[in-house]
Amino acid sequence: MSYAELYCFSNFTFLTGASHPYELAEQAAELGYRALAITDACSVAGIPRAWAALKDSPVKLITGSWFELENAPANGTPPQFILLARNRAGYGQLCQLITTGRRRAEKGQYRLFREDLETHPLEDCLCLWLPPLPANASYDEALASGEWLHWLFGDRLWLGASRTLESGEDHHLCRIGQLSSDLRCPITATGQVHMHSRERQPLQDVLTALRHNTSLEQAGRYLFQNGERYLRPLAVLQRLFPEAWLKESLAIAERCVFEPGSLRYEYPPDLVPEGESPVSFLHRLTREGERRRFPGGTPLTVQALIRKELALISEMKYEHYFLTIQDIVAFARSQGILCQGRGSAANSAVCYCLGITEVNPTKVDLLFERFISKDRNEPPDIDVDFEHERREEVIQYIYRRYSRERAALAATVVRYRPRSAIRDVGKALGFDSALVEQLLNGVDWRDKATDWRQQILDKRLTRNPRIADRFFTLVNTLLGFPRHLSQHVGGFVISAGPLAELVPVENAAMEGRTVIQWDKDDLESLGLMKVDVLALGMLSAIRKALELISEEKGQPFAMQDIPAEDPDTYAMLQQGDSIGVFQVESRAQINMLPRLKPETYYDLVIEVAIVRPGPIQGDMVHPYLRRKHGLEPVDYPNDEVRKVLERTLGVPIFQEQVIKLAMVAAGFSAGEADRLRRAMAAWKSHGDLTPFRDKLISGMLERGHDADFAERLYLQICGFGGYGFPESHAASFALLVYVSAWIKRHYPAAFYCALLNSQPMGFYSPSQLVQDARRHNVAVLPPDVNHSHWDHTLEGPTRQLRLGLRLIQGLSESGAERLHQYRPATGYRSTSELRRLASLNQRDMELLAGANAMPDFTSNRHQAYWQLLDHEQPTELFAEEAAAEYLPEHCHQLPEPTEGQSVLADYASQGLTLQRHPLALLREQGHLKFCLSAEQLKTTKAGIPVQVAGLVTGRQRPGTASGVTFVTLEDETGNVNVVVWLETARRQRKPLLTARLLHVKGVLERQGEIMHVMAGKLSDLSHLIRSLPVDSRNFH
Amino acid sequence: MLWAYLHFPHLLLDHIRRSRNGRDEANEENSKPALVVVDQSAQRVLQACPQAQAQGVQAGMRLKTAINLVPELAIAHADPGREQQILVEQARWLYRHVASIVLHPPDGLLVEVGSLEKLYGGLAAVWQTLEQALSERHLTAWMATGATPLAARLCARAGQGQCTADKVHMERHLHNLPLAAAGFDDRTLTRLQRLGLTQMGEVMTLPPAELARRLAPETLARVQKIQGSRPDPQQPWQPPHHFRQQADFVQDIERAEGLLFPLQRILTELEEDLCWRQQDTDSLLLVLTHRHHEPTRLRIRTSGPEHRAEAFLNLMRLRFEQHPLPAPVASLVLSVRRFLGREAAAGNDLLGETRDLNEAWHTLISRLQARLGNDALQQLSPQPDHRPERAWSASEVQRKPRPAISDLTSLPRRPLWLLNGPQALPEAPVAWYSGPERISGGWWDGQRVHRDYYIAGLSSGQLAWVFRDVRGGWFVHGWFG
Repeated sequence: MSYAELYCFSNFTFLTGASHPYELAEQAAELGYRALAITDACSVAGIPRAWAALKDSPVKLITGSWFELENAPANGTPPQFILLARNRAGYGQLCQLITTGRRRAEKGQYRLFREDLETHPLEDCLCLWLPPLPANASYDEALASGEWLHWLFGDRLWLGASRTLESGEDHHLCRIGQLSSDLRCPITATGQVHMHSRERQPLQDVLTALRHNTSLEQAGRYLFQNGERYLRPLAVLQRLFPEAWLKESLAIAERCVFEPGSLRYEYPPDLVPEGESPVSFLHRLTREGERRRFPGGTPLTVQALIRKELALISEMKYEHYFLTIQDIVAFARSQGILCQGRGSAANSAVCYCLGITEVNPTKVDLLFERFISKDRNEPPDIDVDFEHERREEVIQYIYRRYSRERAALAATVVRYRPRSAIRDVGKALGFDSALVEQLLNGVDWRDKATDWRQQILDKRLTRNPRIADRFFTLVNTLLGFPRHLSQHVGGFVISAGPLAELVPVENAAMEGRTVIQWDKDDLESLGLMKVDVLALGMLSAIRKALELISEEKGQPFAMQDIPAEDPDTYAMLQQGDSIGVFQVESRAQINMLPRLKPETYYDLVIEVAIVRPGPIQGDMVHPYLRRKHGLEPVDYPNDEVRKVLERTLGVPIFQEQVIKLAMVAAGFSAGEADRLRRAMAAWKSHGDLTPFRDKLISGMLERGHDADFAERLYLQICGFGGYGFPESHAASFALLVYVSAWIKRHYPAAFYCALLNSQPMGFYSPSQLVQDARRHNVAVLPPDVNHSHWDHTLEGPTRQLRLGLRLIQGLSESGAERLHQYRPATGYRSTSELRRLASLNQRDMELLAGANAMPDFTSNRHQAYWQLLDHEQPTELFAEEAAAEYLPEHCHQLPEPTEGQSVLADYASQGLTLQRHPLALLREQGHLKFCLSAEQLKTTKAGIPVQVAGLVTGRQRPGTASGVTFVTLEDETGNVNVVVWLETARRQRKPLLTARLLHVKGVLERQGEIMHVMAGKLSDLSHLIRSLPVDSRNFH
Repeated sequence: MLWAYLHFPHLLLDHIRRSRNGRDEANEENSKPALVVVDQSAQRVLQACPQAQAQGVQAGMRLKTAINLVPELAIAHADPGREQQILVEQARWLYRHVASIVLHPPDGLLVEVGSLEKLYGGLAAVWQTLEQALSERHLTAWMATGATPLAARLCARAGQGQCTADKVHMERHLHNLPLAAAGFDDRTLTRLQRLGLTQMGEVMTLPPAELARRLAPETLARVQKIQGSRPDPQQPWQPPHHFRQQADFVQDIERAEGLLFPLQRILTELEEDLCWRQQDTDSLLLVLTHRHHEPTRLRIRTSGPEHRAEAFLNLMRLRFEQHPLPAPVASLVLSVRRFLGREAAAGNDLLGETRDLNEAWHTLISRLQARLGNDALQQLSPQPDHRPERAWSASEVQRKPRPAISDLTSLPRRPLWLLNGPQALPEAPVAWYSGPERISGGWWDGQRVHRDYYIAGLSSGQLAWVFRDVRGGWFVHGWFG
């Protein structure tokens, strides 16, 4: 005797199902079920995960979905039923129905009507009707609904009967028997499964309470009466159900032959012109690209590479994928949108010819066999970054090109994280929300040893230790549960036929966006292809900078015109002068640059990848630096390892190297290495790397590697978990590092102007960028209604940076555009003329006055406001006033602004000032008597006690530095890095967390070019400039 | 006219702090945890006690930051309705000292003091009386005098307390008042600041016509009200004819003795109030609220008219000895609505005809309660819980009949006679009529049940509601007729 469960919610029926799809699948296999249907509410989101778990098991996975209609058939009640896909066609019909229901409702909801079932073709679906409980409908109403379904589905209709052992069940079963004989429809046993095991009942109760937005105490009869909705052992089923009903479930399962693994990606044929095959078209485009890239003839090595790559592409039948990316990139190029591909396949000779990447295969020695992995049979991975301000144009192009029926974004499954899980379980258990927040603040997430349970008791969330245990267990179980589907940052799925027959499509939160019900892992496990269209701020900045340089040179200047391997550029980077440069501008990178001293493009590839959790946790940074500077010999245990590590001097830096090492040094098979890679990717959410640890370490010891190296490699693998940074991505990023650094070195005005025009992006605020610009001898002029545009501009032959009106916080862009458009040749002569000609509203006028942007006709901010506050609109009669009439009204009672007031007002209006730095004023007033400036520190001996003070522009507690807080202080001469140890931080929490102007007594430390102050005593000086709105970017 | 204004910068905080348990206030004050009042969404700190302030917590700070500073912070939630009541409580005692009070919710009282100077023998004496009354009540108030209601209010709120009737003095204070403390709306304040103005005096020197034209007529009106060149009528407060005081606890009070301390303070207030009214009472209502339990309502009757706190407190102590607390207490309210003149013969209407005769229901309930005692009479109602023990509740009889249960059919099948607790069944039932019905739940409050219920016939012929528990034992839980 066996059984097929046909009614089963996974946790993709959010706040209802209490088990992961894989748990259900594994349990069904364990119990010896013949088949399991995952039937989430109007969704197939859980199917790929269940399928992955059942791939190699005898249990058959059936794809289905549960529905409740909005309206009722005549004389009936709105029916609840399950549809099961019989075959591929039935699966398509199911997806189409789900799409209809989801697309017309708000995100996360669905709405289906009687009429939908009558109009959608569903002949390849089987229907399980779940008759209403006697309390909810009379027999006649139930019968009417049943008759309507019978009319729709005929012999594809069954009545689902469950044994929940709840009050009134006998009555309900009796009625189902009656309905069955009246309708002449068979009954099948169903489990109404909400969890894989009875032990999940507490969690299911918690979810139910949350779904009703209440606590368990208040949930009362919303909760199920017992925990019977689980996957029951066969023996129990046999006791509870008549044998005929159990047999019927097997008969239904027998009729369902659809297998999710049979889904195949069908490429859109649109891209290949008439008369060409995908192969010939890709070859032709590559040849055309070769002629463009290598006007003097393609080097022989590159020719060989291209031949090899094309052969591999055609063997794997990936032509369409490359053509799809090429098409999108070509569109961007035609619109002047800068883009750059990255990923394993992106840095290939073919992609260079197709224009997908600028990484030149002749200039960079990259290993191209990692291009596509033949063994792994996984789709090639190319992410394309576009200018962040113009990516939407690309997205709209994709929708236009393939229509919304055939293109949609992949989903991202938003899951429970510790914070949200604690919050929700706390809410369900009725804990005081303020106390829960207190608990959350007390928990140090990086400190795994923190005993939450004890803290829960300490905080008096409960005094019952058993409840505290429960809380702990529930939170741990809830972690990783899906909460809702969100849109992926840019992963597009494009199909040949209607997408909704491949996977249901639903609405995203963003207007006009649709997402499919699967995320990128699901797509990967089913072998479906996606195209990543990502946004990158630096590309916008580079494009703008290139335009400014072209303007200055009087001829077009593009990325490929930038000379390679420029020594001045590397010299600048070696000094850590990298504010604003892509990827290497963070505090940690600025410290690394003088140590690594990059001299070549490949050094930049390493620079980008080395300051990351993987290499840091594996303690690979110092060995690499020692070897690079010749302080330690470079050696390899054997030739195989040499092949993997040669380009990084024997020290593993990249994720690919670590995986390769697992194979050559620890004897992992290709399959095991692949599992390791997946486990690393999933580590953040629910993965577990410990199973690999023993294998890795014993494998390496067997092969004669030392234990310390093996242990470090394992730690590095853990560090990569969730933050994996492969060489293929680093290679593309390094190119942008070089390009942005070159522009900063040779065209600083254009560089800062473009960066400021691409805000918000990067690490630094406009204020910090402007200060850095001035330190690089760029003249910066204030915003002025008679000179500024909306954007920042470069003025005159000396390329002075004129700040744009966009800097004025709150000013309307349309107002600024009109101001520019209607500006008389001689400039505006008065506030009233400005108001009239540019038709500015009062708000914009006041903001301009606040920015002191009318120096030509107002003596200061205060007087400018006074003039503006006169509300009378000039009438048309006076449209042609003479200049003499523009006599400003001066109010003698108003005070002149002091320098301090002006600085504060500048900050309030623009977040920066071009006048003296507030610290310079305070120093002049004698407030900072014993403090050294950032400039003075440079010539101060290390190891001596110092005092510094500055505006706090950053507080950072990196995950890789145990308990250390880095504080960046800004004064009139530059930045000072302050290091605060955990103990110091604990004792001086208040100034550390709240000060905006901080005074630090400490010891100056120096390692080569790098310098910081080890904090001893912190004091808050904010009262000196309390109203200074300086932007501090806090990272906790 | 001379006005004084009392601004309570953290009234709710003071209120909670003085409701706290403990006899020796002064000594224990420092060992008590820092306390803050947060807004209703628990995002921001609204008021911080001195201990919290000493550790860097300030009003307006995000609660998160505050918790980072003081991890063991005690937190109370703001509640405008409650704050208004607390303010009225303050007006009530103040009324004994002064004649004309104006409420400025949520945290201020305006007092006309000009007329009191003579009575008390000078402003300083008035001042001293008020300060002493405040300190007796452990209340913090910032006080200031002013020539106009607004001037007094602004100076008090700015914390620039001064006790003076000197015009020049007051004017100078007003001139030096920071603009941000002048109570202009945000928009007007921003505009004035943008003109470079920082003090009230600078605004007052601007030409009035220009001020009205360039800012708003309302702005001018406000400035003139502050200066006194425009009338600013006030609505005096009338004391209500009942007494009500409340105590709120940060930490639930579990034992009745813990309630006596806050009760004593309130009863002393009551005694003062009664003395001042020259009245007595014979009936007090004490309502105790609990977090997870219906409120407990205790009516305390004295044998005759009474006003001594001591007498009331004794009665309450007796009451608590007889009836232990059903659950920890989160707050208490003591109210008195029935006042008896000291000379009047009490008890005229005690046994007389009530006016409720037309309400037969009420009469019946009252009589039953009078005969059997309040607690003997209860009202049944279904509760949403699957556990039979908790699926119903008995509560004090409600004067207003509850709405009928809408859907009786959705209720589970249960015997009319549910036993007080399950009783072990010596022998297994002999006949089965229905079941099993499995009930499993209640894990969250420690009252977990896991049982299979049946309707079964016993060998004695009785129809019983029985269940079997996890260990396999049989129990009777109810009888069917």
